[in-house]
Amino acid sequence: MEESAKKGTGTGTGTVSSLAEMFPAEDAQKAVKRVQEKLAEIQSELHRVRGFISDNSNLINLVQKLPEQLHHNIIVPFGKAAFFPGRLIHTNEIMVLLGEGYYAERTSKQTVEILKRRGKVLESQVESLKAIMRDLKAETSFFDSTASEAAEGLLEITEDYVEENSTERESESGPPKEDAPSFSEADKAKVSVEDEEYAHIMSRLDELEKEELEAECGNETVEENEQVAVDDEEYARLMSRLDELEKEELEAGDEKIKDDFNKLSDQKSLDTNLKHSEGYQSRELLEQTKDKKSATEEFLSKCDPQKDLTNQLNCMGLAVQSVPEDEKSHGKSLLHNVIKSSPPEKALMHPEVKENVQPAPLSRSEVPAQSSKPGFDAQKAFTGSIIERTHNTHINSSQESATSSQSPSSQPSKPVSRFKMQRR
Amino acid sequence: MDRFRQEKLQRYEEFVDKRLKPDLVHAIAERDKVFEQQKTFSDLRKNIENLEKNSVTSLRTLVNLGSEVYMQADVPDTQRIFVDIGLGFHVEFTWFEALNFISQREERLARQIEEYTRLIASIKAQIKLVCEGIRELLQLPAERSVQGPVF
Repeated sequence: MEESAKKGTGTGTGTVSSLAEMFPAEDAQKAVKRVQEKLAEIQSELHRVRGFISDNSNLINLVQKLPEQLHHNIIVPFGKAAFFPGRLIHTNEIMVLLGEGYYAERTSKQTVEILKRRGKVLESQVESLKAIMRDLKAETSFFDSTASEAAEGLLEITEDYVEENSTERESESGPPKEDAPSFSEADKAKVSVEDEEYAHIMSRLDELEKEELEAECGNETVEENEQVAVDDEEYARLMSRLDELEKEELEAGDEKIKDDFNKLSDQKSLDTNLKHSEGYQSRELLEQTKDKKSATEEFLSKCDPQKDLTNQLNCMGLAVQSVPEDEKSHGKSLLHNVIKSSPPEKALMHPEVKENVQPAPLSRSEVPAQSSKPGFDAQKAFTGSIIERTHNTHINSSQESATSSQSPSSQPSKPVSRFKMQRR
Repeated sequence: MDRFRQEKLQRYEEFVDKRLKPDLVHAIAERDKVFEQQKTFSDLRKNIENLEKNSVTSLRTLVNLGSEVYMQADVPDTQRIFVDIGLGFHVEFTWFEALNFISQREERLARQIEEYTRLIASIKAQIKLVCEGIRELLQLPAERSVQGPVF
């Protein structure tokens, strides 16, 4: 024992103590005796309850049988030491104790139900007693084994668990005690299992991280790329369509436009946001009238990418929402005027409106009305593929330089007046 | 000498604990049983006297079927009563005979109780005696102050 104790302390990780020191055999025996006494007590209790159960079932049988006859000849007890010969009468009327000195008059059937319920309670009592007995038996066996082990002079080795190194050391130093080998083996197995698990978990984590990154990148870059391509296509279509529309517009004449924009300028009661959009449109028209090709190109470059423009368009969307509501009072909304007066404007306006005024049902209802007009086939190109928000934001970021260069012209503070000046 | 006294002390104590005290407990239990019998017979006597006084010839009562479940029972004739005379024998008596028997029985039971009481007293005295012997062996001073006022 001394030797083994030295070995144990030699590794510096554990202590060895004899089991008899911690749990003397006599104490363990005493514990066994005590628990066995308790067990016997419970056994007698169980016996008592079992007796109750058998009494109860007998009584149930009796109560079931009694009403079969009108009366039974019995001896009627008279005190404890005497009885009379007599007979049971009213065999279907039974007084049952409910508890606390209260009795109920029941029929045989009802009494049987009550007795069955009592029987169930007794059964549950038996079950609980059995459970207690099982526990006590386990306890006695444990104490017994402890006592016998202590008597045999078994030693207990307490060793702190150390990561990985401990396995090597243990395997090197070999089993210091009789029950050490199993312990070290188990330890080793545990460590290896843990390593495997660790690797597995890490790889899984890496996978998940990758997925997450991909998902993020996909959202940003892939969609952006797609949108850029889509946008380029649309620009080309838009440009070609604009060219056509411009030609038509030339024919339609400047007169109409002029009238409309006079109207626009007259409606100063509209809020400032609306004014911005008006200004934007008027400025566009102005440019278109001046130099069609350059104007359309400029417009294209301006209308989609610019931040200010998006703001304006948003404002326009608000305007479009609000305007149709007062359509009756105003006669015709500002936007309508603009759109109807100039077909090229319409073409330009439509995607914008659609982009920014998606939630407004009235503005949407406007769109099909416009598309039904002849000579507006190019609308399909716009309705099909434009993706609202990402579209604008992307181009904003990519063409920031264009914005800065054109910012002075794109945000006219008093666009209507300037247009007027230039027109007149 | 000392060892001898030690052994004697132990023997006395064992006698008190393992013989006299269980005897005492047993005697008391027996006396309680007799007391109980006395009570049952005095109850029976009272009941019979009651029947006599009210001249009840037929009786309707509740019989315990077990587990406090009662059923009505009818006794057509109360004149004849069966009384337990001991050892599982029951004798059919008339009321007068029964009362006679009960009085005899009660007398006997009273005698028994007296016997048991005497027995209990003697056992108590023996216990006291042995305790006194132990005290002498240990050469402790007599507990006169306690003894005086008790009896």
